[in-house]
Amino acid sequence: MTPVATTFRSPPQVVHHHTTSEPPAVRRALIAVALVFLSLFLFLPLVFVFVQAFAKGIGFYFHTLNDPNAWSAIKLTLLAAVIAVPLNCVFGVCAAWAIAKFDFRGKNVLLTLIDLPFSVSPVIAGLIYVLVFGAQGWLGLYKNADNPHFPWLANWLNEQDIKIIFAVPGIVLATIFVTVPFVARELIPLMQAQGRSEEEAARVLGASGWQTFWRVTVPNIKWGLIYGVILCNARAMGEFGAVAVVSGRIRGQTNTMPLHIEALYDDYNFTGAFAVASLLAFLALVTLGLKTWVEHKNQELDEPNPQMSQIPQIK
Amino acid sequence: MSVEVKNVIKKFGSFTALDNVSLRVESGELVALLGPSGSGKTTLLRTIAGLEFPDNTGEAQVLFYGEDVTHIPASQRKAGFAFQHYALFRHMSVFENIAFGLRVRPKETRPPEKEIRARVEKLLHLIQLEPLGNRFPSQLSGGQRQRVALARALAVEPKVLLLDEPFGALDAKVRKELRRWLRHLHDEIHITTLFVTHDQEEALEVSDRVAILRDGKIEQIGTPEEIYDHPASPFVYDFLGNVNLFSGRVKDGAVVIGDTEIATPTAAGEQDSEAVAFVRPHDIRLTREAGGARTFRARVLRCNAAGPVANLELERLDGSGQFNAQLSKEEFQQLQPKAGEEIFVELKNIKFFSDDYSI
Repeated sequence: MTPVATTFRSPPQVVHHHTTSEPPAVRRALIAVALVFLSLFLFLPLVFVFVQAFAKGIGFYFHTLNDPNAWSAIKLTLLAAVIAVPLNCVFGVCAAWAIAKFDFRGKNVLLTLIDLPFSVSPVIAGLIYVLVFGAQGWLGLYKNADNPHFPWLANWLNEQDIKIIFAVPGIVLATIFVTVPFVARELIPLMQAQGRSEEEAARVLGASGWQTFWRVTVPNIKWGLIYGVILCNARAMGEFGAVAVVSGRIRGQTNTMPLHIEALYDDYNFTGAFAVASLLAFLALVTLGLKTWVEHKNQELDEPNPQMSQIPQIK
Repeated sequence: MSVEVKNVIKKFGSFTALDNVSLRVESGELVALLGPSGSGKTTLLRTIAGLEFPDNTGEAQVLFYGEDVTHIPASQRKAGFAFQHYALFRHMSVFENIAFGLRVRPKETRPPEKEIRARVEKLLHLIQLEPLGNRFPSQLSGGQRQRVALARALAVEPKVLLLDEPFGALDAKVRKELRRWLRHLHDEIHITTLFVTHDQEEALEVSDRVAILRDGKIEQIGTPEEIYDHPASPFVYDFLGNVNLFSGRVKDGAVVIGDTEIATPTAAGEQDSEAVAFVRPHDIRLTREAGGARTFRARVLRCNAAGPVANLELERLDGSGQFNAQLSKEEFQQLQPKAGEEIFVELKNIKFFSDDYSI
């Protein structure tokens, strides 16, 4: 079973065949409908975010962003992304490597598990962590148990006052959970298509496993990996549901940018909410730009070289 | 001095790829592993390279010039392997592809940069691709890629060169050129070489010896002449192709096909039993005069005189099947057979196998 790539690539250029092409009027009408729809529902709201953000002037805009609570939210969002993205990067490469290059029992189970965060609502993901790590969850019960197994561990947990829920670790865990599939899903089809023969060639030529990985595997999956990381990062920064459940929304402490925006909005500080939202939207646009650039780069590599036919055959 | 495998058994699930195979390739020899798909030839090659390991680790052995490498991983065996679809490193230039095996060596044994360059240049010269060192694999034709794959394998000065269907993915013309080139290359550098192919013509043309595999076993091994002239089994006869089958009987001193009894010296002393007779198309003589009991009648279905020889399709009049005959241009012009005509057929060089053998 070949897993379906979870991301959409730019569609290939449509070649117009006279017989299958619609009349120009129909074509124009279809394009117009698509454009109007996208403008109304995607582009205008985005513009409105920026318009609203600056509604009270540039001074107020920077005042909002300079607020310690906003700063804390920005830093927390970046922290969660900085931890979650590299971890998922490593996990994604490992999982894709295992699935694409080896045959083992439970391969389909692993594939399904990787997809779990896509199919489960983020709220449920958050609740799972509350149930496991919360004060009333397994971890809480264990810490407060009268007679726990491994008492040294319970003591250590209590002494260090390890908190996961309503604290930064919970936010990071929730972010990791919702972003698990991005890198792996991007790499699995790629690595399956590439097969094992280049790695085998490297091994026969005397390369160690480590050399094979860094000199052959990584360069081959480089663009797919970057693409996966960009998507993973976009989701990590924008995640709301799962993080909302585990964070406790303590201002200046456990609010990420999306949570901070909602908090400002709830305070009827619409302009402030939109100011922070504009920053998040800006980060998303940068990500989108990067993604397009990577796709472009990727396609350049895939395209057959036009010079090929000009190379002389040498005997 | 030789590269040798002994008693190798390899299974993939319930499928037996290698069934107790032993093979010895003498130093400097060029041996073809020939067989249909699923016969185990590629698995045997991969076992020698260390990309597969025998199931019967106790008894099976892989020896490189007396050294037991059975348990040594591929990266330390010093075998050269050219993959069926080349497996060139797509992100490296031709030059870097060839240099790879030298660059990954540990510091102590890695040649200095200058020597690496010199060696790669020499190999580029050998494969006649000197001007293309900076190209990437995607910018090369199939034949060029295969030559780069060979140079890359040769760069590490392997003890044995293993080629998996080296010409399989190439078109007919390039294929012929490249296999002659390989033969010349081998005559030049005399490296012990095994190559896998399913093309009998390729195997017979290029190699010093041919090993024919079937269902994970070596059916016959010998020089191309031995294999072609004295196939050891109906399978080999059939697989080498270019042969007609006549089912009939064998008895003391003769092969009986339909009503025709053909005196066959090799059948002297045979028990009366069912048999299949194999006759090559160029061992079939056509004539307009009845030759007594030795000939039978057939109808000409089709004649094709394009090319150096004329190929004829014929059908036995007793209704038991079609066969092919090959005439030289001269014979064809003398006889001038026409489609639909009835003609007498005489079989020469009959080889029969009396066990019940079905294809």
